[in-house]
Amino acid sequence: MTAASDVARVVDEPSNLTRAWRRFLRNPAAVIGALIVISVVAAAVLAPSLASYPAHAGSFVDFRSRHLAPSLVHFMGTDNVGRDIFSRVLFGYRISLLLVVGVLGVAVPLGVLFGLLAGYFAGAVETAVMGFTNVMLAMPPLVMALAITAVLSPDLINSMIAITCLWWTWHCRLVYRVAKSVAAEDFVEAARLAGASHMHVLFRELLPNCTAAISVKTTLDAGFVILFGASLSFLGLGVQPPTPDLGTMVATGAQFLPEMWWEAVMPGLAILYAILGFNLLGDGLRDMMDVEI
Amino acid sequence: MAADPILEIQGLDLGFTAYGQTTQVLHGVDLRIEAGQRVAVIGESGSGKTVTMKTVIGTLPHPAGRVLGGSIRFQGRELLTLSRRERDRLKGTDISIVHQDPLTSFNPVFTIGRHLNDVLRFADRRLGAATDRADRQRRIEATLSQVQLKEPERVLRSYPFQLSGGMRQRVLIAMALLHRPKLLIADEPGTALDVTTQDEIMRLLNQLVSEEQLTLLMVTHNLAIVRQTSDYVYVMQAGRIVEHGAVCDIFGMPRMPYTRQLLDAIPPLYGPRVQRREAHGHSAVITTNGLLKRFVAPRRWLEPASPPVTAVRGATLSISRGDIFGIAGESGSGKTTMARMIMGLLPPTSGRIAIDGRSIEELRKDPAFRHRVQIVYQNPASSLNPRRTVAQTLAVPLAFAGSVGRGERNARIRNLLAQVELPAQFASRYPHQLSGGQKQRVAIARALAVEPEILVLDEPTSALDVSVQKTVIDLLLSLREQLGLTYLFISHDLSLMRNFCNRIAVMFRGEICEQGTTEAVFEHPRHAYTRALIASIPVISEAEERAKPVVTLEERRAVLASTVQ
Repeated sequence: MTAASDVARVVDEPSNLTRAWRRFLRNPAAVIGALIVISVVAAAVLAPSLASYPAHAGSFVDFRSRHLAPSLVHFMGTDNVGRDIFSRVLFGYRISLLLVVGVLGVAVPLGVLFGLLAGYFAGAVETAVMGFTNVMLAMPPLVMALAITAVLSPDLINSMIAITCLWWTWHCRLVYRVAKSVAAEDFVEAARLAGASHMHVLFRELLPNCTAAISVKTTLDAGFVILFGASLSFLGLGVQPPTPDLGTMVATGAQFLPEMWWEAVMPGLAILYAILGFNLLGDGLRDMMDVEI
Repeated sequence: MAADPILEIQGLDLGFTAYGQTTQVLHGVDLRIEAGQRVAVIGESGSGKTVTMKTVIGTLPHPAGRVLGGSIRFQGRELLTLSRRERDRLKGTDISIVHQDPLTSFNPVFTIGRHLNDVLRFADRRLGAATDRADRQRRIEATLSQVQLKEPERVLRSYPFQLSGGMRQRVLIAMALLHRPKLLIADEPGTALDVTTQDEIMRLLNQLVSEEQLTLLMVTHNLAIVRQTSDYVYVMQAGRIVEHGAVCDIFGMPRMPYTRQLLDAIPPLYGPRVQRREAHGHSAVITTNGLLKRFVAPRRWLEPASPPVTAVRGATLSISRGDIFGIAGESGSGKTTMARMIMGLLPPTSGRIAIDGRSIEELRKDPAFRHRVQIVYQNPASSLNPRRTVAQTLAVPLAFAGSVGRGERNARIRNLLAQVELPAQFASRYPHQLSGGQKQRVAIARALAVEPEILVLDEPTSALDVSVQKTVIDLLLSLREQLGLTYLFISHDLSLMRNFCNRIAVMFRGEICEQGTTEAVFEHPRHAYTRALIASIPVISEAEERAKPVVTLEERRAVLASTVQ
């Protein structure tokens, strides 16, 4: 290879994005996951027009049609006050996704920021941030959330606050680990020697190398936030009736098991469907971006 | 049939399949080895030499790698049509391989003894002749004594990380020899080791080959190693054998331009050097005095304090403006610690460093100092951020140097790329779209962006192929002419330093054992270590071999961390 040919050699390969997209399409589980997530988001956004009985999302009562089994009129049956469960599930997805956006919208940036700081600055910052994170992680999440929501009044905002307080720690740990290994690479020192500020290194050099891990973790988390929110509502500490929430619906329906099985099982399946979608998508992204979580 | 060659490859075509597309990587490879011959396959990275060996031994990644045509015959038997079972019986018994990386070839949780025992046990089982432990132990000990390992009992009880690189490499050779192979494939053995250790490994291989009458197939990118260990050589380029012949013929009169290029790219140890300007004047720009650096491991709770490690002891040197000053030494000799102290990245334990008469403690606090001293790292893969384009990488130092406007910055980026002889459209590329040499050029451009006076070059070419190495060195030399830079060049490659540096300091266990002009160090090396180091350098001609300094066995023992008994 001569000097000229080495310099002029063009590495002709598909861009990273094209390659990642191909890898994603080759993974049937990931594609199914993406379709499920899209359908859940669409159901939530279009709930008012998709629901067969939009009025049933509120405090509607029709005792003549209570406890009806699934049929063509009520796809998922009706509950103990005669509301259409299918319509309520669609509106329930709105609450669930609102919770996901609210929680992850705060927890992820917070966790990423602290993780970056701890991973880049060794010494006191690292000890303080990771020490605090580890203490937070040591508390049983449900107990913690119960404590917070018991002090505050149980509603959607407060359960969001409770879950956010717990959730950022996982992102902090993940980003800390990635940032710490990236910070050891020569290019970080080279950037410092070239006059870059700490801010530049944190957000322009380290952060772009963490995005793959963050996006995979966030996708997987979306499912778990839905589950956690549902658990809180199931215990009566989340969203209060008559707002349709999947966890509350399962809790109410559980009183009528096993005869009126659909009242608990249908919202339960709806939770399962959404979580399955997010998990499949997350796994697919992980394979696609080749990161370890 | 005595006429059968031990290995005969004919018209081997091989492809790798990814995303439904097959890329052919080997094109009609022909290779023939007679019993007892010592054959080398040489080529740069990506030429297909390792893939060929993997196909022979049958460890090609499955199902991605596919043989598209041709044949491989081992002692007259066709290997490619053999059943998996039959093929496995040959692996590690009749054909065995010595791998390149002596650390990753071992499982870190098992002892060396367990590794050797397992290899033997599985091979015996494959052959259908199960053996007992005592018998295996006897054979292991016999083989270990062949590779001349010091304290074999201790080695057997050790875990891989407890051994030095040279010892691990010896164990790997022992592992390959356990079953008295007919064909021994050596895949770049010793490449990851220091030259003095590599030299010992090559001597050992040569000795074993002649004692055991082995047939050796050496795979390497190093032409000097070929001369040391082989009689016959095949040159590979881009999946094809481009030239083959007896080593003396090929080296004496290469027919193909590619082979000639490979030979020319090797810096000669003796003979004419590249002519260049000496230092401008004699004003010292960097001076160090009695420099000492001691590392103390942080004390851990409830653990005894570990003794401090002295990395650099009493280093005194003076570098003139415009000079090319080399610090030579093997791994662990303290040369990188020296460079980092001079860069102001590491405070010395005691001693003084001054740049233009101002002490480094004072300069460290001065942001303008960073404009004057910059560094080019060894590994371009880790010194460029994979998520930033070339332009983004270069923009950082440019902003620091004061180019703020977008137009001005883009013009400077084009200038810098032109300076390192890269086309301007490379600005929008990401590092993964560049070759190793191109990445290193970008790293040089980044260092030049702040217009420094002093450039620290920390083994800038050791991760590159030899022909690319030459182009990068030529670039550095011409940049020095244009910009009047002072270079501090850190390397373990003495023959490269001879052709690049004006002055050399040789470091040995933290001390500078010898320094002077390049001519003086190479013509009349005074210290035994310098002589041993020079004598270990693989060279490509018999004449150079004879010109090397003589090192007595006592001197070798005294200065080299030998693994020999």
